Amino acid sequence: MRDVLAVLRTPEGAIGSGVLILMVAAALLAPVLAPGDPLAIVGRPLRLPLADPRFPLGTDRLGRDVLTGLLHGARSTLGTGAAVMAAALLLGGAVGTIAGYLGGAADEVLMRIADAVQTVPGFVLALAIVSVAGPTQPAILLALTAGAWTGPARVVRAEVMALRSRPFVDASRLLGRHPLAIAFGGVLPNALGPLLALAPIVVAGAMLSEAALTFLGLGDPNVATWGAMIAEGRAVLRTAPHVIVAPGLAVAVAVLAVSLLGEGMQRAAARRT
Amino acid sequence: MVVMRSTRRGFMAGTLAGAGALALPRLARAQAERRGGTLVVAADGEPRNLNPALIASNGVFYVASKVIEPLAEMVYGGDGLAPRLATAWEGSADGRSVRLTLREGVTWHDGRPFSSADVAWTAMNAWKPLQNLGRIVFRDLEAVDTPDARTAILRFSRPVPFQLVRNALPALSAVLPRHLYEGTDPNANPANARLVGTGPFRFAEHRPGEFYRLERNPAYWEANRPFLDAIVYRVMPDRGAIAAALEANQIQLAAFSAVPLADLERIGKVPGVKVIPEGYEGITYQLTVEINHRRRELADPRVRRAIAHAIDRDFVVDTIFLGYAKASNGPIPKFDAQFHVADLPGTPFDVRRANALLDEAGFPRGANGTRFALRLLPAPWFEQTRQFGDYLRQALRAVGIDAQVVNNDSAAHTRAVYTTHEFDLAVGSPVYRNDPAISTTILFQGGLPAGVPFSNQYGYDNPAMNAVIDRAAGAVDAAGRTAAYRAFQRIAAEDVPLVNVAEFTFITVARDSVRNVANNPRWATSHWADTWLAE
Amino acid sequence: MRTVRLIARRLAAAVPTVLLVVLGTWILLEAAPGDAADAYLAQAGGGDAAFVADLRARFGLDLSGPDRFAIFALRLAAGDLGTSVVFSRPVAAVIAERIPITLALMVAAVTFAAVLGTLGGLLAGARPGSLGDRLLSTAALALLAIPSFWLGLLLIRWFAVQLGWLPVGGIRTIGGAGGVLDTARHLILPTLALGTGYVALYLRTLRAGMVDAWRADHVRAARARGLSERAVVWGAVARPAFLPVVVLLGQQAGTLFGGSVVVETVFAVPGMGRLAYEAVAGRDLALLIGVVLAGTVVVIAANLLVDLVMVRLDPRIGAGDA
Repeated sequence: MRDVLAVLRTPEGAIGSGVLILMVAAALLAPVLAPGDPLAIVGRPLRLPLADPRFPLGTDRLGRDVLTGLLHGARSTLGTGAAVMAAALLLGGAVGTIAGYLGGAADEVLMRIADAVQTVPGFVLALAIVSVAGPTQPAILLALTAGAWTGPARVVRAEVMALRSRPFVDASRLLGRHPLAIAFGGVLPNALGPLLALAPIVVAGAMLSEAALTFLGLGDPNVATWGAMIAEGRAVLRTAPHVIVAPGLAVAVAVLAVSLLGEGMQRAAARRT
Repeated sequence: MVVMRSTRRGFMAGTLAGAGALALPRLARAQAERRGGTLVVAADGEPRNLNPALIASNGVFYVASKVIEPLAEMVYGGDGLAPRLATAWEGSADGRSVRLTLREGVTWHDGRPFSSADVAWTAMNAWKPLQNLGRIVFRDLEAVDTPDARTAILRFSRPVPFQLVRNALPALSAVLPRHLYEGTDPNANPANARLVGTGPFRFAEHRPGEFYRLERNPAYWEANRPFLDAIVYRVMPDRGAIAAALEANQIQLAAFSAVPLADLERIGKVPGVKVIPEGYEGITYQLTVEINHRRRELADPRVRRAIAHAIDRDFVVDTIFLGYAKASNGPIPKFDAQFHVADLPGTPFDVRRANALLDEAGFPRGANGTRFALRLLPAPWFEQTRQFGDYLRQALRAVGIDAQVVNNDSAAHTRAVYTTHEFDLAVGSPVYRNDPAISTTILFQGGLPAGVPFSNQYGYDNPAMNAVIDRAAGAVDAAGRTAAYRAFQRIAAEDVPLVNVAEFTFITVARDSVRNVANNPRWATSHWADTWLAE
Repeated sequence: MRTVRLIARRLAAAVPTVLLVVLGTWILLEAAPGDAADAYLAQAGGGDAAFVADLRARFGLDLSGPDRFAIFALRLAAGDLGTSVVFSRPVAAVIAERIPITLALMVAAVTFAAVLGTLGGLLAGARPGSLGDRLLSTAALALLAIPSFWLGLLLIRWFAVQLGWLPVGGIRTIGGAGGVLDTARHLILPTLALGTGYVALYLRTLRAGMVDAWRADHVRAARARGLSERAVVWGAVARPAFLPVVVLLGQQAGTLFGGSVVVETVFAVPGMGRLAYEAVAGRDLALLIGVVLAGTVVVIAANLLVDLVMVRLDPRIGAGDA
């Protein structure tokens, strides 16, 4: 709790979390604020913003409400960011702990796999996975997690290797506890700090990649996404720039808020030490 | 000389407003055709095999039709055909032979003379065994006789309607140089990528991902043609960039609706740019809902009819196609007056009727207001097929059908719909190619093997339909054949094996300096020998 | 000698990586719905059943999966990347044509980012905590948050269409004289779109290194000796802070390569990124593996280069670690 307050006391942390809370609230309340199908055609196409009180941000090429798309699109982008973060931290944490604690052959195999994954350009990997698995939300999660777990794995591995020789670990070992139980129960919790510090970077990367994938037409067509809105709007870039400006700004603001929060976390941590 | 037969008021108003008073002197000066200049046009894809005798598709023709010529080309008016490599064509009364008289004094781009042997070789070794469409139309071609260098006689083992052969000439009869292909595997011949033909332009260069360049053929058979020195197809996968490049005069022409429809109204007002909706009538596309009859619910004609009633065709035409399309009532487009039946019993937009039909068929709404759920696969071919998929999802919800859209890329879509049948509804866009027997009846005929794209993979198999298709295929006399195709349309309207929603052609956007645009019904896929650039 | 050993060790370590990449890519594309024949047919506008069977035989798709992998792996071991189904040409030739363009774009973006990022980083890091530092650091975060494809679209709208200063896409003027300058002009907007995020990254990395350096003993010593502020910043603070920036250049090679996929699509640049996209769309296994391998090689080479530079910069880094 003290840590949270410390982060909020930094200007970056305060602004970042404030914006992020607003966006999360908008995403959660989207079905209430803009009920119904966000992809429904509800008005005349390409209304400009403020031209019609029903569509404060205007309508797109088919007559879908841009504001409704923004609110519902937040669910996809923010949700993907959060889910990829959780999956990448869990998977990376687990792999890093096992590799770092057990060492030897297990470490070698896991780190060679991590090498291979890190060597393949991440977005190319994601592109290939989504093309193969088909454009659905789970496929996007899988594709982005596949490229995001290696960073956390390396950080945790390094921490665990440093902690491995501490006295409390030796003590557990003498008590006859299972090595994995020691690794996950005793060692990993001590390595959580550096792992969590990676979280904002993972989230920001995942949100940008989600936007890029949906922009390339690899999003779930039944869901409103900011990337798809930009892709849809680029054909009318000259006629109706509002259709791409709004979702593009939304992506930038969301990613900036997460980065600011991360910055706040770092400053708070720096102040403590 | 500029052909603009537009009937759309908005478009004309836009053009006049944009051109303004400057247009008059410019038009007056433009009477004399000018030789020279390089025309740069946009290409949104790069066909991997450019051989039109093997692959009859518009993407291939767009480039290849300037290099490799067919026997005849479509024209507005007259009997609809203009001579190219053939100067006359005549069918025998029994439907077993077609006599082609070939043009004199034609040479291939490598200097060798063109003769009937080239036609005979291409017909027997490319059109009949290898070409995607020729395999259907020339299935019964037995031999090609060449009594002299200027005459080729197609001989069929069964009567084949001359009407069909004639209608197939523009798209299916590209002639290859025998001396380069004989004794090789035509599919692997290097000339498929570096074309050699008789056309007004010679193939000069292809830089993958960048451009194709064609150069003027100084030895073209038609005197003083072509006007242009070169045509460059600049590969531009991003459609937004195409409009921008036109405005910046970095390209002079974009065909096949490469400029998004939503941008036409604006770009039509840009000085120096014109929007041309003509020149595609001979390659009319049809927007269809393809239905998998293997689904229990969709096997019931009442359900299929209900789906057809749920679609507001006027909305589709006005909003998705922005008016650049026509509502459709059956499998043969209005443009083909020869076969089209105007008074088919339609399925007008009627949500109440659709709901009643679905209730009657025994699929009442459940507690959540939904009758049943379907997978809907919009084809990735066009912006409009995807957008119509989004619309259809919404339209079906209004009648209690929950459609989940599945977007696939072209390989996965082709596999899912035409091979493994893993779909319930799909949005398709077949091409109507000047005769129902070329690429249209194949969408209705039963008993076709799985794995053939753009054919009836819907599980629809009606003996009466099959019989009428067979009858037409063997009808040598034009009247009997026309009657059979009229019957064909009535059965299709009765059964609703698939839903014809709209028919659409494409839009060309060009700089004013490009002249003689859209002067035949397959203009974008014709030879452009008379196209010229004003200064 | 140390250098040679370093190179040898890096190359040996790369072997399992490359093998895993090849196997992984193969399995991935094998699992895809639809094959190269489906992709071809969709483009060709259809054909009958015999045509489809012919096509599968021609592409070698009638063999079993393991058989095809064995044939492919044997050929790859002999240094042959196979033939692209999409282009009907050897994969190596297709890649050789495209990779210079992507490398040029990557190098241009990195140079742009390194120059601007270093300047900004020096300004910010010279006085950590000052108003200028706060502004620069936050502005950098904002730049980092802008999606490159979106930035690209806006750049096209303003600089290519509205103002007409620069071409909307492609890499050379068609029918023009061509040349390096012409291509450079075409690469300006893609470079800005791709490089802007990295400006922010380099700025922040350099600044963070400098912040750490201010606290280091040798800096305190330098100040204690009464050296001028400027001499301290240049001599003692900035120099060690450059090391992480150089490391970052290597680490980001993969991300940069991936980022060019989207940017190349927006600007119609015929590079590796677009080739990857075409390979997936055409279900062209050999080509995709070729592209991924080329990307892998670029990343390995970039890291090796960085290691070599590091050895020069910092004698402490050497043969010991791996």
